[in-house]
Amino acid sequence: MENENEIVENLNKFLKEGLVKATVPRPRRIFVYVKKDALRDAVKHLTKDLEFKHMSTVTGVDLGEKIEVIYHLAHKGSIVASIRLSVSKKNPSVPTVTDLVPGAVLYEREVHDLFGVNFKGHPDLSPLMLPEGWPKGVYPLRKEHELERLREMTSKK
Amino acid sequence: MNLFKWARTKSPWIIHFNTGGCNGCDIELVAALTPRFDLERFGILLEGSPRHADILAVTGPVTLQVKDRLVRIYEQMPEPKHVIAIGTCAISGAPFKECYNVHGGIDTVLQVDAYVPGCPPKPEAIIDGIKKLIQKIEEGEEHGK
Amino acid sequence: MSYGSTIKVPFGPQHPALKEPENFLFEVDGEIVVDVKPRIGYNHRGIEKAFELRTYMQNIYLAERICGICSDAHTTCYTQAIEELLGVEAPPRAKYIRVIIAELERIQSHALWVGIAAHEIGFDTLFMYVWRDRETTLDMFEMITGNRIHYAMNTIGGVRRDIHADMVPKIRNGLDFLEKRLRYYLNAVQTEQTILKRAAGVGILKSKDAVDLCAVGPTLRASGIMNDVRVDDPYVAYDEIPFQVIVRDGCDVLARILVRCEEMLESIEIMRYALDSMPGGIVKVKAPMKVPQGEVVSRVEAPRGELIHYAKSNGTTKPERYKVRSPTLGNIPALCKMLLGGYVADIPIVLAGIDPCFACMDRMAFVDAKKNKKWNWTMQQLRRKYAKK
Repeated sequence: MENENEIVENLNKFLKEGLVKATVPRPRRIFVYVKKDALRDAVKHLTKDLEFKHMSTVTGVDLGEKIEVIYHLAHKGSIVASIRLSVSKKNPSVPTVTDLVPGAVLYEREVHDLFGVNFKGHPDLSPLMLPEGWPKGVYPLRKEHELERLREMTSKK
Repeated sequence: MNLFKWARTKSPWIIHFNTGGCNGCDIELVAALTPRFDLERFGILLEGSPRHADILAVTGPVTLQVKDRLVRIYEQMPEPKHVIAIGTCAISGAPFKECYNVHGGIDTVLQVDAYVPGCPPKPEAIIDGIKKLIQKIEEGEEHGK
Repeated sequence: MSYGSTIKVPFGPQHPALKEPENFLFEVDGEIVVDVKPRIGYNHRGIEKAFELRTYMQNIYLAERICGICSDAHTTCYTQAIEELLGVEAPPRAKYIRVIIAELERIQSHALWVGIAAHEIGFDTLFMYVWRDRETTLDMFEMITGNRIHYAMNTIGGVRRDIHADMVPKIRNGLDFLEKRLRYYLNAVQTEQTILKRAAGVGILKSKDAVDLCAVGPTLRASGIMNDVRVDDPYVAYDEIPFQVIVRDGCDVLARILVRCEEMLESIEIMRYALDSMPGGIVKVKAPMKVPQGEVVSRVEAPRGELIHYAKSNGTTKPERYKVRSPTLGNIPALCKMLLGGYVADIPIVLAGIDPCFACMDRMAFVDAKKNKKWNWTMQQLRRKYAKK
């Protein structure tokens, strides 16, 4: 299956209500919005059945009340499918995909560091890039943390 | 000129430390060692141990992660010692001033004796900066003044 | 010869006083690596947040400084992301110039790396030779762009400077010189016993692991997987330029060295083709300051591998969100796999084999559970301990 539209159709059939919305903004780009409980099925189907074996990265986005997590998967290096879901900021929890895609291990850890998303089942969510002594519970890429406040917090140590 | 000063200025040993920059300055500093620029013909040696170094050449904008290590290396150097800040990041942290994990220029952490501006400075500029610092030392300039 | 590393006197069992963050924690059993835990933070600056505070134009210069060795890859990835959000396309001539600069950067980066790898193996003469020849690429950069590093060629809507007719013969001469030297080095690498002994059969990464662990770039291609963003997901003018993707199936450090050497030669061919076929016309188009709402995924093949940017715009002059995943991060899981079961003595060359950012890989912590010992080493201490006499 080499065609973006065919892939979207396939995902629609496979995920049914799990798939909220899918768009093909341009050649080799697919954006798919899934429900949280459909995430693992979506990733499994894409990686095992549709040959989207390469995960380029996982992106976190602060939407205000929610945090969006986007998984970027590439089909033979070519078509990039960005699978996204959103979780509430108060308790952001997403099931891990590291058992399906071992290479995702550091990408999930990064989103945890910077946004505070908890990836349930991840083997090791210890800090990846924030320095020792970084105040706990302060996730720097969340919009509510302004630069000056972050500086104040860290200069106290 | 006393013997120690002569030895220090005729053959200064430099230790290099990167405090989290983009590596641009570091590769130009290393390039200064290569045949076209040949830093060593000035008797300048890049040393690995702070305990043997006369000059600490620092690059980068000092990330929070690395600040303690920078201070520790500085403290391990014997007196008299001098510090040269290489590159715009080392001088003021400028390109990364909106970055939350960055401290700022080297002189927010240590006393700096010489600044080599550039992003990155060319190897010739780095050599020039080091030579000017050596001149200052020869003229009796003390660290941090 | 030493640079970029400091001596730390190794200390005995358990020193809780010295709490310093390491980039890698190695669990060892005698001379064998049993487990590897990465924890990179040395270079974390907070750039992604800074992107949100600056205008799109200002951010070009921030993106450039994510890395001094592959700065053009970042600006190409960035400017094409913003162009896509704007619905603006760089003119054909600009795309060709982008290819030329990108390939010249690839040569510069791989040459830099070959020198570093030679130094890791203890082959300082080769390091000096390669870095001397690398100066030719920097001369070309200076001629075309005005700077040796951070060339600031890309802008939103095209490139900032043109490659003038009088530069072309000088570029061609430079390429001819480089080709001669690189063929010499390629041959040396394949025949020099010092290199073969240290690099062959070391740092094995099987094809299946390379794919499962989402490796990128020459590391991936040295394990037999033919993936290269320039061909798979073409950008700028790569879809108009025929070239070979270099793949080898040695799966070891030697294969990674060979892939990079051959890629440099291929880059020379790409540059020649681009110079021959360069279209005329303008080199940039005007682009508005405000970027309409949207999001985009942009990828390029940086010298170290796939570089991916994700951009989200909100109708203002500043990005809503900008995400960067550098290729080195993509190779760290694969790196950990390569190190497992290997010798402690091989750590430096295997680390070097993925072509990591310099300073990132400097500090390592070790734990020997059986002997109940903990200690820290820098790269230099590790090299010294295992230096072959």
